[in-house]
Amino acid sequence: MRATATHLDGTTGAAREVELWLDAEAGAITGAGLHWPLDEIRVLPDIAGGDLLILRLRGDPLQRLILRDRAWLAHLPHAHRRAPVANRKRLAGMAVAAILSVLLIVFVLVPTMADQLAAYIPPEGEQALGEVTLTQIREAMDETGVSPIGFCTESQGRAALDKMAARLTDGAQLHTRIDLHVLDHPLVNAFALPGGQVVLFRGLIEAAETPEEVAAVLAHEIGHVVSRDPTRNALRSAGSIGVLGLLFGDFAGGAVVLFLTERLIEAQYSQKAEAAADRYAIDLMRGAGLPPEALADMFERFRKLGGEAEGFVAHFQAHPKLGDRIAAARAAGVGADRGAPLLSARDWQALQAICGGGARPQPSASATTSQ
Amino acid sequence: MSLTTTFAGRRLPLLWLAFRTGLYSVLTLGLYRFWQKTRLRRWYWSAIRPGGLPLDYVGDPFEKLLGFLIAVVILAFYIGVVNLALMFVSFSLFQGNYAAYLLSFIGVIPVWFYARYRARRYILARTRWRGLRFGLAPGAWGYAFRALLYWALTILSAGLLWPLMTFQLEKYRTNRTWFGDRRFTQGGRWLMLYRSTVWLWATLVPMVLTLIAIGMGDIVSIIVLSAATGLTAIYGLVYYRVDSLRRLTATKQFGNVTLTLNARPLRVLWITLSGNLIAGLGASIPALFMLGLFLQLQSTETLVQLGLENAPQLLRDPATWLLLALTAMSYFAIFLVWGALRHAFVTLPIWRHYAEALVIDSAEDLDQLRQRPRDETTQAEGFAEALDVGASL
Repeated sequence: MRATATHLDGTTGAAREVELWLDAEAGAITGAGLHWPLDEIRVLPDIAGGDLLILRLRGDPLQRLILRDRAWLAHLPHAHRRAPVANRKRLAGMAVAAILSVLLIVFVLVPTMADQLAAYIPPEGEQALGEVTLTQIREAMDETGVSPIGFCTESQGRAALDKMAARLTDGAQLHTRIDLHVLDHPLVNAFALPGGQVVLFRGLIEAAETPEEVAAVLAHEIGHVVSRDPTRNALRSAGSIGVLGLLFGDFAGGAVVLFLTERLIEAQYSQKAEAAADRYAIDLMRGAGLPPEALADMFERFRKLGGEAEGFVAHFQAHPKLGDRIAAARAAGVGADRGAPLLSARDWQALQAICGGGARPQPSASATTSQ
Repeated sequence: MSLTTTFAGRRLPLLWLAFRTGLYSVLTLGLYRFWQKTRLRRWYWSAIRPGGLPLDYVGDPFEKLLGFLIAVVILAFYIGVVNLALMFVSFSLFQGNYAAYLLSFIGVIPVWFYARYRARRYILARTRWRGLRFGLAPGAWGYAFRALLYWALTILSAGLLWPLMTFQLEKYRTNRTWFGDRRFTQGGRWLMLYRSTVWLWATLVPMVLTLIAIGMGDIVSIIVLSAATGLTAIYGLVYYRVDSLRRLTATKQFGNVTLTLNARPLRVLWITLSGNLIAGLGASIPALFMLGLFLQLQSTETLVQLGLENAPQLLRDPATWLLLALTAMSYFAIFLVWGALRHAFVTLPIWRHYAEALVIDSAEDLDQLRQRPRDETTQAEGFAEALDVGASL
């Protein structure tokens, strides 16, 4: 078979028109001083127009034969065989190095720096960091897409809450004042933010049986504030969110950032941090003349509740020796000084209605049966 | 001897190639995008045929992946550690994160220009015509420095020195561009680009009229005139882009070889508007589908439980699973359809228009050119990829 083709020699800019023979017996394309063995010829992929057949030799990256007829394709046994990947080892090495250094940055360098810096951030800066984070969380949790979820500010309930906070913190030495908020959301959960901001969800207040249980959760969160866990956490995520967004490109990146904002609410502190917050809470409760075992009560009942309280349980489950903690809380309760009751029945009612709902809705029954 | 340029690609094969490779990219969590880019470039390059001979794109997806990984390591350090430090300083000194965002953004700007130059160098190094390599000499930081300087001048002069920036940056790039063993040079003067700004100046007329109409308080006139201002401004920008390119191309020299670009601004504007409209309409089909699914999700009251903590229980319900899967699929379909349609109805017609508008004059001595050595460019276009600098392909 014969055909005309354009030969590009890859050393000059000349485009030579050549007469070629395809000699099936000799297994080669020959002519015009060229000898291309058929089994070493590769076809360039993804060529537009469908009118050209562009050939190259396996071992020669430069020469090209451009044919205006695709008929010879059928005679090329390895036309579409891929070239072996060059520098395979180097590539694998780089990939491993890149992943390792990103992991190192996200899980070692950024956390270490955040831990160091958290101790030096001035109170006003910490306050501002907390406010920004709180706004982000309120916007992230909003499902209507209209406005961030609101604060609950019924005045009587608020007064009861302040009374509770004052009883807890009066004797305590805090590096910052505690700024208490209730968010109008059915989650049974609570979290602490930088700058002494502690947030309780409506769901938690409604699900609690006694004011002491709410106080116990509050004391636990104050424990986090005292050890500056939220500040460290916020600084860490400020460092690592961008890195992860970078890895996943455009539209997956947005989802990752959202996911991490959610993690802020979950506030997965280390086991050590959780245990320390518990110890602090127990001391605080005792100091205020309140029963420390309320922490254990609250926790056990919420675990049975399941469903809406799962986040709360997960939060506290950062500590695997959960039973130990409950036992510790109970043990701490033995022989503790009992002071005056925390809230009057009326105050407690007002606190439960802090979001404006008069009646007290029970957590849904379906959630309980799911256990 | 004059060489005209033909464009051999058609929409349908490209649409299919872009959609298929986009799908693979989604399925591989973005890993395939380096292959997608390579394949699309091979296709576009082979469609452009100055003097009947196709361009040849020989870039390798693995080197793109490698370059991306290198860039990720450097940028991860920047974003992680530098941003954390900036955040700390910003909250400590200014009680807010705006200072950190601003400083972080300013810090990225020079890297952005650096990345654009590196990407150009990589693409030219992997482009061949008549068997000869193109090339761009190193000089990315010099480019970033000049880009910052001329941008600053442009902003300080309220845009009056924009043609100076366009000309000087093009000159910097052109004078470092090689084909085979011969270098391009950019001739002409920056003042010649003021002629390209004519339609931007023309925007002043409807703008002044709009202001007068606002003064008189005539609502209909205000609407009509501000629409006219907007359209003239858009045409002014496209006209500046195309006409300055025309002038800069005509004043480029390559030995005795000269170039002519007969591109038409109105045509480019029409392709941009109509093509994006078609892509938008196409992408709205999966978008509407997703909206429907979303409303469905809400009506089954699952959204209440979709709160943040209830995921395990939610996922026990197979119907909800299916809905969620369909929603995710239509979410990705929006991007796939949009991307593929934009290739077929925006990128292809614009490239075809520019290609067919290109004439190479006095091309007699191209045969005498010699090959240039391979430029390894280990980083490939990694920074451009990681920073998404908006290189069209």
